[in-house]
Amino acid sequence: MRLKMDFMGLSLKNPVMVAAGPWSRNPETIMRSLDAGASAVVTETIAMEVRQNVRPWIYSKNEGYQNVRLYSDHALEQWLIFIRQIKKEGGTVIASIMAHSPSEMAYIAKSVYKAGADAIELGLSIPHGEGVAVMGSDPDHMYNSVKRVIQSVDIPVMVKFSPHVTNISELAKVVEKAGASGISAIDTVRSIIGVDLETSKPLLATYGGYSGVPIKPIGLATVASIAQSVKIPVCGIGGISNWSDGLEYMMLGASTIQIGSAIMTLGSEVISDVIEGMDKWLEQKRLRAEGIVGKALSNLKSFDEIEILPYKAVLKDACPESSCETCVVGCLVGALEKKNGNIVYHQELCNGCGLCVSLCKDQNFELKWRL
Amino acid sequence: MNIRDVAQRAGVSVATVSRVLNHPDQVTPKTRERILEIMKAMDYTPNWFARGLNLNRTGVIALLIPNIMNPIYTEIAKGVEEVAHNKGYYTLLCNSEDSKEKEAAYIEMLLHRKVDGLIFIAGHLDPDLMTRIEETRLPAVMIGKIEGNWQFSAVYTDYFEGARKATAHLIENGYSGIAHITGNLRFIESAEKLNGYREALKNADIQINPKWIIGGEETIEGGYLAAKRLVRNPNPPEAIFIANDWMAFGAIDAIKTEGFRIPEDIAVVGFDNNRMSGLVEPKLTTVNLPVYKMGLTASRLLFDEMDTLSSTSESDEKADQKQQIFLPLTIKVRNSCGHQDRIKAIFGE
Repeated sequence: MRLKMDFMGLSLKNPVMVAAGPWSRNPETIMRSLDAGASAVVTETIAMEVRQNVRPWIYSKNEGYQNVRLYSDHALEQWLIFIRQIKKEGGTVIASIMAHSPSEMAYIAKSVYKAGADAIELGLSIPHGEGVAVMGSDPDHMYNSVKRVIQSVDIPVMVKFSPHVTNISELAKVVEKAGASGISAIDTVRSIIGVDLETSKPLLATYGGYSGVPIKPIGLATVASIAQSVKIPVCGIGGISNWSDGLEYMMLGASTIQIGSAIMTLGSEVISDVIEGMDKWLEQKRLRAEGIVGKALSNLKSFDEIEILPYKAVLKDACPESSCETCVVGCLVGALEKKNGNIVYHQELCNGCGLCVSLCKDQNFELKWRL
Repeated sequence: MNIRDVAQRAGVSVATVSRVLNHPDQVTPKTRERILEIMKAMDYTPNWFARGLNLNRTGVIALLIPNIMNPIYTEIAKGVEEVAHNKGYYTLLCNSEDSKEKEAAYIEMLLHRKVDGLIFIAGHLDPDLMTRIEETRLPAVMIGKIEGNWQFSAVYTDYFEGARKATAHLIENGYSGIAHITGNLRFIESAEKLNGYREALKNADIQINPKWIIGGEETIEGGYLAAKRLVRNPNPPEAIFIANDWMAFGAIDAIKTEGFRIPEDIAVVGFDNNRMSGLVEPKLTTVNLPVYKMGLTASRLLFDEMDTLSSTSESDEKADQKQQIFLPLTIKVRNSCGHQDRIKAIFGE
């Protein structure tokens, strides 16, 4: 009950969904996620034409993934069977679809709607294989696509946003005006995950989409911006691998969240772990999921609103790590030095930047007023 | 032995077996495989003739194309056939060679034999024949769009815009002396390409040189001959936009034979992005015509129409609802256009 969430008219048992991607490539994988507790699963993206995927198409490094995969390997007709099958088994399924024109998009939308999909996610934001400017960065194209799809179906339509746009607020308003029921964000971030120095070759042969833990801050900012621009609900995506990640997205305005890449490293158990962790936290705080949506947004300030206060760093205790010098190296103004294993702090030099507070692994610094 | 025996053996309803035969896409793969295996084991084959009579259906759709030698039509056929096969239908391929007599004979034959549906290429079919098809109310879908008040579902694209983009791409690369080898201007797509070429030059304030617009037969040889005429001109162009890739291959050969380098001396841009375009030397910059997708889409529209016609209830969809699907064109930048824009080559537009 605590986790129950109404999202775009869908009554969900919890806010945790699974994102479009290869972990949602057929009924077996989708049912696995649903069995793990996901309230809904977004399919791998369905297109009019199956394009052969290149190999290799994914590379993992430092908790991030670059992928150069395009869309599902299954034809539209196959997906219609899959959707009917999932519906028969009682699952909630959101069809991720993509197309190059509004009429084509509407056609696929109508097909998945007739097959029984509970909702649709428009995937116009893939950062590779579809142009330097992502399709979803053009407000007119977005408006026309959303409008045509909405005229063709009678289920909620959510639009997936790219972080590769500077006009995020305008775009959000455009799709809201076109009648979208929700916005999900973010799609992957255009990336080159690295270069092999010996061969001078990028680790994957072309530009790809970056996902996983490192993209979470980009996702959080995008979700907050969308939530502050429109009234339709937002679904947070990007680097969610534990319950607190999910709650952070929700506090910044997401009503629901989607887990993706984490399933590749942690298995579908990550879904139940996130749900359980959220539930426990909410129980402790005597809160309901619905109650925390957007709770942190009012604390998000403009520069004008941030009061300039005489903060300085304060060392809470004597440093227990005689060999650690992270704060000393990090201090930009030389206010910290280490003598005989102890931190010597020159408060008059400190300008209150706060770096030592987040750098110290013992959390031994705090900022206090020092007039 | 009949369908009831199969249903009994499989422990399913007659309706399920019937669906395996008539709408295999509506049966889960597992059940479908199991029932097909039982049919095989029982040596059961449906009585197709009786089936046709019962359902007033033949299980065959037809695709009428103008030229089987042009690879864009074989790719269209691939898309059409793939969807039909999935639905348990056969595809009859009719090649008219752009002959009015052959077209008429095919249409009469198709209407007479009662195929279940027809896909044809707009602008290549005589309007009288289109009227005839329309009157019979045979489910029919056209690939391409033509002027007039035709009541057909269609999948279409914008040849004008594709040609404009291709020519504009050459202008962006610094060319102004741009020639155009047209296709057969009797066909609307060729005329639209010519207009797109003109529009791009007009937008860039480049004077159109009528001597640089040459028509050719839509074959490799046609492209070869037209390009020879252009490059032997005392004032040869710096770049040529060619109405289709097939002709462009011939043109590339002609330009090389005349001792010119591509793209250093003369740049070339084609149209279609057929499968050979990435293999010729230099690799051909062209307009990507999503032909396979056009075939898939046309076939899907046709089956939608056939399904609507056969479903007795008209509650969810009007029987005469026609669908129009637009597929946009993009430029595939390769090496023959002398581009400096690597990012455009990687990402497209």
